[in-house]
Amino acid sequence: MPQEPKPEPTANFTTKAGLPGSPQPLEVKPLATDIKPWDLDQLPKFEHMGKARSRTEGPLKVTGRAKYTYDIKLPGMLYGRMVGASVPAAEILAVDTSKAEALPGVKAVWVTDSRIVRFAGQDVAAVAATSPDIARDAARLVEVRYKERPFAGELREAMKKDAPGVFFLDRMPVPRDLPKTGNIAGPRVNRNQRGDVDKGFAEAEVVHEGSYYCPVHTHAPLETHGVIASWEGDQLTIYASTQALFAVREGVAEALGVDRKNVRVLCEHMGGGFGSKLGPSATGSAFSVVACRLSKLAGAPVKLMLDRQQEHLCTGNAPSALMTVKVGAKKDGTITALHYKSWGSAGVAGGAGTAGPAGALHGKNPNLKIEEYDVFTNAGPSAPLRAPGHPQGAFGLESAIDELAEKLGIDPLELRRKNEASPVRLSQYDAGSKAIAWERRNKKAGDITTGSWTVGGKGLAPSRVRGLGMANGNWYVFASENTNAQVRVHRDGSVEVLTGCQDIGTGYRTAMAIVAAEELGIDPADVTVRLGDTQFPEGPGSGGSTTLNSVAPAVRLAASQARVKVHELAAAQLGASASDLDAARGKISVRGDATKAVTFKQAAARMSGESIDCLVKRPKQYETYRNDLAGTQFAEVEVDTGTGVVRVVKMVSVNDCGIVVNPLTTQSQVIGAMIQGASWALFENRLLDRNVGTMVNPNLEWYKVLTPSDMFEAQSILTPVANLGNNTSTAGIGEPPIVPTLAAVANAVFNATGARIRELPLTPDRVLQALSEARRA
Amino acid sequence: MARKPPPPDEAPQQPSFSRRSFLKSAGVSAAATTLVGGSASVEAAPTALGPDAVTLSLKVNGAARSVTVEPRVTLLDALRNQLDLTGAKPVCERGGCGACTVLLDGAPVVSCMLLAADAEGHEITTVEGLGTPEKMSPLQAAFVEKDALQCGFCTPGFVVAGTALLAKHPNPTLDEIKAGLAGNICRCGTYGRIFEAVQAAAKAPRPALLPAKRGG
Repeated sequence: MPQEPKPEPTANFTTKAGLPGSPQPLEVKPLATDIKPWDLDQLPKFEHMGKARSRTEGPLKVTGRAKYTYDIKLPGMLYGRMVGASVPAAEILAVDTSKAEALPGVKAVWVTDSRIVRFAGQDVAAVAATSPDIARDAARLVEVRYKERPFAGELREAMKKDAPGVFFLDRMPVPRDLPKTGNIAGPRVNRNQRGDVDKGFAEAEVVHEGSYYCPVHTHAPLETHGVIASWEGDQLTIYASTQALFAVREGVAEALGVDRKNVRVLCEHMGGGFGSKLGPSATGSAFSVVACRLSKLAGAPVKLMLDRQQEHLCTGNAPSALMTVKVGAKKDGTITALHYKSWGSAGVAGGAGTAGPAGALHGKNPNLKIEEYDVFTNAGPSAPLRAPGHPQGAFGLESAIDELAEKLGIDPLELRRKNEASPVRLSQYDAGSKAIAWERRNKKAGDITTGSWTVGGKGLAPSRVRGLGMANGNWYVFASENTNAQVRVHRDGSVEVLTGCQDIGTGYRTAMAIVAAEELGIDPADVTVRLGDTQFPEGPGSGGSTTLNSVAPAVRLAASQARVKVHELAAAQLGASASDLDAARGKISVRGDATKAVTFKQAAARMSGESIDCLVKRPKQYETYRNDLAGTQFAEVEVDTGTGVVRVVKMVSVNDCGIVVNPLTTQSQVIGAMIQGASWALFENRLLDRNVGTMVNPNLEWYKVLTPSDMFEAQSILTPVANLGNNTSTAGIGEPPIVPTLAAVANAVFNATGARIRELPLTPDRVLQALSEARRA
Repeated sequence: MARKPPPPDEAPQQPSFSRRSFLKSAGVSAAATTLVGGSASVEAAPTALGPDAVTLSLKVNGAARSVTVEPRVTLLDALRNQLDLTGAKPVCERGGCGACTVLLDGAPVVSCMLLAADAEGHEITTVEGLGTPEKMSPLQAAFVEKDALQCGFCTPGFVVAGTALLAKHPNPTLDEIKAGLAGNICRCGTYGRIFEAVQAAAKAPRPALLPAKRGG
């Protein structure tokens, strides 16, 4: 009989969890090999945790010395270039590369095996040449003959009964048992579904039902996707602009049929990804594998960076979403039922769900029905984009809640308080509404005489109106346990943290130095974090806001083991027991007698051998205070009712991100998420040409993103929560603060104008049309 | 050999016409004047180049540098691929994002829209010329202190544009900062922190924000 695996022994701690203002005892059972977690009691004792610290790599980045993948040049390196399909749906009849091959300077050519084109921008061919210009010339010389097919463009076109089919029904990339018709697969039923919505709506005294639409956004990281591939015999080195070093290694090794051990992937600095750089190449291209093949063929390193147009077409995007939301409540505001239905399009990919917020934000609502459909279109496949599906879903859901509040005649903030299940978010409402001065809002939407508006001591200019809006967001406590970390103390007392993870601009490198330094009792400046290399201990891909709380517990555990070893050396010097020692500010002293002390360096100098190395696997995740991360946002907007132009004036984001490691970089991420979210709300829209099915705006001026001229006052308020689940009680913050932004801005526009806009982006034409409809009504 | 005419479907590349200079001339006049003045001398001295590679003499960060490139090569590519000055970044490839901003005789230009050949005879300053990691300029130091960067790919462009802005407006208002940086895009969302950094650098005791001109 097979033996059941023995459960690993666990320890037992009673911790002080939750909010500092209302701590709660929480029993946790970490692995016995883990250490006592940081909790609320630890907060006042921290020396480095929670203190603002500028990022380590800052000086390299601001002086142009940081070398990104795009900046690296190897001896004899060639320049690669992809050739993408120019049509959205076709059969490839022939690819003629003879002219390209004949061009002087061209060293290698690759052509796809695939014969079916399902989106414009799909990989067709590639070239490698001695200069970027020659590579571009050669790419233009590749001749492709297509037999074009009818295509399904944007979401609402593809949902029509007579729309051309993107896939045969049995080939749709969705679970087999999902119902399918035309280009539509679903409904998928959400795990949070419960109760009986018919009964709930029967109990309701006020019901709102509305339909909302959010277009496709592209990630548009400033450094395009790309790699440099270089072979030495069977050893392959890849410099990659990636959020997931190991996904590149494993994906490329598998595609090429080579051993992982022979593939090394490096990424020291990386120019943005937002979820699009989590795979071996991109969701809509295999450029990494192609670069490796070109390099092998040419016998030289090949740098292959996508251009800006390709970046928009084949590296992913956020699904569009059409949502219908029906929500009912008693007259006192008690919500009795929610029916949320969404159709999302991830292009040729599945997984366009948006129901996360609907499932998570209605904790007290007994009756929830949630249905999600995937709609296939002839457009590039989506990729996770900063809280995948959630900003869209929150736009639909939180706009509908705002409309319900209007119908009920209840302040939208009060309506949310009444139905709030999270004690964390309840505390956030106070902080956020105070920071935005919520009492200034127009008591009657569209009537600024019912609000309180002064600008520079004066009233608003004629034709300008202002309003306030708010919305909620949710996120989850995810962590990757497939994570290792190593701490090395050298004989000279210098310390390294080794982590096979990448810093995608979050400040991860600095955070790991802070965590290790806190545990070792030394200064973070004395810790060097080595990362961005698959030769270091394996770390997770940076997605799901999990990097920090996946790796930090491993780094802390490794640092703790190193500390024990250094303290044993110090104990021998001090004639004390190691367990009686304290460490802070680079000194190890006997508890209660600060005169008996040695420096960390003096203790390390006594080691036998040249270094103390502690390599650990991340300890198992355990009990948490809550399994969700709460957030809420408030927005002030100004609308010019003559031109329809919307300007965000101020935003306040209140977020839970566990115990904060570095408030400076944490708040930078929160502010950045608000800016990206405001950009989606006001400007961004991937436009496909209705007649030819290609993207109309694959650049950075027509695919308009928020610029410095559009910038607003952005305030981040962090609510520390000892959430536990890991020994550092940390949580990621990259994604949660973008979830409420679209809805908060749209709700503020309603408060300013009295005109409800249910389709994004909030462009002047839509604003003017909504204003004229509101006037007619 | 005469310079090839541009293909009919593409606008001719005018060194004087960058998105920034257009924005500047639309809003603020002084920088545009410098730039138009600079480019007028380029137009006045037409030289037949190419199509084969030519050797150009560029004055970069105060030093005379020689590059051998096809005449169609942009200043951005010459800096990055020939001189390993990779601070200026290729991002939008058409003057729309400011990530490749360098100073040409002190005025900001997008180097993806300027041919290397047309930069001959001008003082080129890249982000590398403004400071080193060990000795950052006041603005660079303020960027680090205020955390005015995340992934950092747009940062060199903002640092260069901000340096030009401060040279023109030593004590800029928020609106002047926004206008001066309007041609630059950041995707991580660092604008607010960048404004703080520019304001902090304006208040800092100021050694020359721009390196002193050397030679002609």
